[in-house]
Amino acid sequence: MNQDGAKRWVAVVGNPNAGKSTLFNALTGLRQRVGNYPGVTVEKRTGTAFTLHGDALELIDLPGMYSLSPRSPDEKIAWQVLHGESKGVPRPDAVLCVVDASNLERNLFLVTQVMELGLPVLVALNMVDMAEAKGIHLRPQELSQKLGVPFIPTQAHRGKGLVELRAALGQGLHRPGPRQWAMPPPLAAAVGQIAAAWRESLPAEVTAEGKALELLAGSNVGPGGARKLAAGWRERFRKEAYDWSAAVIHARYEYVRNVLGSTGVLGGARIATWTDRIDSIVLHPVAGWGVLAGMMMTLFISIFSIASYPMEWIDAGFSWTGLFLEQRMPAGVLRELLVNGVVAGVGGVVIFLPQILILFFFLGLLEDSGYLARAAFLLDRVMHRVGLSGKSFIPLLSSYACAIPGIMATRTVEDPKDRLTTILIAPLMSCSARIPVYTTLIAAAIPAALVPIWGKAAAFLGLYILGTGTAFLLAWFFRKKMLGGGSPPLILELPPYRRPAIRSVALRMWERAIIFLKRAGTVILALSILLWFVSSFPVRSDDPTEKLAGSYAGQLGHLLEPIIRPLGFDWRIGIGLVGSLAAREVFVSTMSIVYHVGGEEAGLVAAMQGARWPNGESIYTPLTCLSLLVFYVYALQCLSTVAVAKRETGGWGWPAFMMLYMTGLAYGAAWLVQIVGRALGFS
Amino acid sequence: MKSSSNSSGGNTLNLSDVGAGAEVRVSRLECAPTTCQRLREMGFCENALITKIRGGADLVCWVCGTRVALSARLAKQILVEHVDGRS
Repeated sequence: MNQDGAKRWVAVVGNPNAGKSTLFNALTGLRQRVGNYPGVTVEKRTGTAFTLHGDALELIDLPGMYSLSPRSPDEKIAWQVLHGESKGVPRPDAVLCVVDASNLERNLFLVTQVMELGLPVLVALNMVDMAEAKGIHLRPQELSQKLGVPFIPTQAHRGKGLVELRAALGQGLHRPGPRQWAMPPPLAAAVGQIAAAWRESLPAEVTAEGKALELLAGSNVGPGGARKLAAGWRERFRKEAYDWSAAVIHARYEYVRNVLGSTGVLGGARIATWTDRIDSIVLHPVAGWGVLAGMMMTLFISIFSIASYPMEWIDAGFSWTGLFLEQRMPAGVLRELLVNGVVAGVGGVVIFLPQILILFFFLGLLEDSGYLARAAFLLDRVMHRVGLSGKSFIPLLSSYACAIPGIMATRTVEDPKDRLTTILIAPLMSCSARIPVYTTLIAAAIPAALVPIWGKAAAFLGLYILGTGTAFLLAWFFRKKMLGGGSPPLILELPPYRRPAIRSVALRMWERAIIFLKRAGTVILALSILLWFVSSFPVRSDDPTEKLAGSYAGQLGHLLEPIIRPLGFDWRIGIGLVGSLAAREVFVSTMSIVYHVGGEEAGLVAAMQGARWPNGESIYTPLTCLSLLVFYVYALQCLSTVAVAKRETGGWGWPAFMMLYMTGLAYGAAWLVQIVGRALGFS
Repeated sequence: MKSSSNSSGGNTLNLSDVGAGAEVRVSRLECAPTTCQRLREMGFCENALITKIRGGADLVCWVCGTRVALSARLAKQILVEHVDGRS
C-alpha cells in the first residue's frame, strides 16, 4: 500500500530475453489477469505479488524494450504505461528493472533511461548464475552505490533471490539522484535551456532534463515555450549536422562502461560456448532447414500420437454422460437438448483440448529454449523475398496456435506496412481451432485401416504447408504490389540457448486450457444450443433425416445448396459452414448435432462416411473431403479474429477486406479442387 | 557528434565483407536514422568493438555480450575497420 492506502503499482521493465516474464511469473504465480501468448510478450500483463510483510503489489509486466524511444507498437505500450498514459493502469509508483547479469553493458543502458523517469527504481540482477559461468564476478553492492539504486541478485527460473526482492519492494524505495552521465556540451546547452523553460510547471519528482530530451526527440507534450525552444535546437542541430541522439547514446554507454570497468564487471572477451556449437548446426544454411523441418514434423506427429490417449478418455467421458442422461431422463425436449445439443456440441470440441495443449507445449519449449529467434533468422531470407522481414515469423508462428495472439504479436513489427501485411496473412496459418475440423475430415477421407498414423500426420502437415505457402504468396502480393515500399532490415537478438522452464511452459498451457474451456462453456455452448434448436424445430416428421430437412437449419441448408453444390457440398455441410461462421471448430459440433451422434468423434466419422446423396452416392468422398479441407484452410471463420484485426488496424476497412479475400479464396480453391479432381477421374 | 553521413578515411570496409571470426571496430553507420538509432542502442555505436561470428547471406555478430543477427543489406551499411588496422 502507498501513503494514501491505495494499492501500489510496480512496472516490470527490461531488455528482451532478460528473464522479465519468468521473474514476473515467479513473483505473481497464478495470480495474473491477462494471458500471455507464445512468441513474445506484446501486451501489458498485470498480476498481484506480495511483499514479505504481506502487502499486495500490482505488478505490470511490460513488453521487452531496448530503449525508451519507442518504435514498434509493443514498445509504445511500455512507454505509455511508464508515462501514465495507458488506459486502465495508473502511472506506476515504482519500476522494477530486470537486467541480464551476463550482459550488463547493454541492459544498464536502458536502466540509465528509466532512472530519468522520476520514479523509484529497483534493479533485479537476474541470471547471476549465467554471469558467473561466463567468469563475471558481480558486485551488487558496488553497483548500487555507483548508480544510486538497489541491485538485488536473482535467478528467476530457480526462484532464487525472490525473498530479497520482495523485501526490497516492501521497503520505501527512493527516487534516483541527479543524472550521472556526462551530457556532451552542445546538447547540454540545449537541454539546459529547454528544461529551464519547463521546470517550474513540472511536478517536483519529474526530471526536467528527461522531459527536455523527449521534446528534442519530437514529443508534442509540454508548454509552448519549451516546445518552441526544442524545435529551434532541432533545426540548429540539423543545420550543423550534429547527431544529438547518437551523442546521447554514446554518452550513456560511456558512463555504463566506466561504471562496469570501475566495479570490475565489464564483460571479458568472447569465448565459444554450447550456444555457438548448437548454432553451427541450427543456423547452417542446409542443416538448419533440416532441423526446422524435423521439429515441425515431430510437433505434428505428437499432435496425433500422444494426444490420442487423452482424447479417447475425454471421448469416453462424454459418451458415458450422453448415455447416462438418455437412461436416466424421460424422453422429451429437455433430454434431446442435453444429449444432442449440449453434450454433442460441447463434447465435440472439448475432445480436441489435448491436441491444442501439445501445440502450446511445443511453442513454449521453442520460445523458452531460444530457438524461435533462430527460426526467425533462418526464415528472414525467405520472408525478405516476399517483402517481409524475419520479425514477421514469430507472429505467424503464434498464429498456428491462434490468430488472435498472432495478430497481437505483430506489435513487435516496426514497419507499419510489414505489420499490416502480417495481420492480413496471419489467419491463413492453420490455427488450433482448425485441428478438430482437419482431424475429423482427414479421418472421414482416409480409412484408418489403410493409412498408418504418420500418413495422417503427413496429410495434416500438408494442410499446414498449403496455408503457409499461400500466406507467403499473398504476402508478396500485398506487400510488394499493393502496399509498395521496401521492407526494413532485420536486427534481431539471438539469446543464448537455455533449458526451458517447465513451470513457465505449464503456466501458459494452463492459461490456454482455461481460455479454451471458457470458450467451450460459453460461446460454443450457446451456439450448440442454438444449433440444436434450429436443427430440431419445427418438427415436421419423425424420421430423423426428414426432421432435419424440415427444420430451420435444414431450410437454410437447402437454400445454400445451389451455391455450395459446385464445391461438392450438400445442404447438411451448408449448415456446418453457417454454424461455424463465428468459430471454425463449431463445424464439428454442428455436424455432431446434424448427424445426432452425441459427443463421439468415431461416431461422427462413421456417420459422415455413411452419408449419401439422394442418388445413393457417398457425399464424403476423398475429393469432397479435400474440397472441404481446402475451404477450411482458407476461410476466415472466426469473429474473434475479425474483432482483433479491427482493434489492431484501427477500423473496419482491413478486416472487411480480410473477410472478403479469404472467403473468395476459400470458395475458389475448393471449387478448383472439384474441377481438377473430376478432370482426373475422381468423384 | 557529426552525423553519420560524413565521409571517413579509406581503411573502412563494410561489415558484410569482413570474414567470420574477425573482431572489428564500428567506424560509421550509413543506414536510415531510425535504424541507426536502434543499432546504436543495441551496442553498434561508433568505435564499439564487435566480432562477426557467422557470415553468409544474413550474419551474426557479437556485440555488448550478445549475439545479434543482421540482414546482409544492413551489414553493407555498417562500415567497420579491423582492430589491428588491416583494411
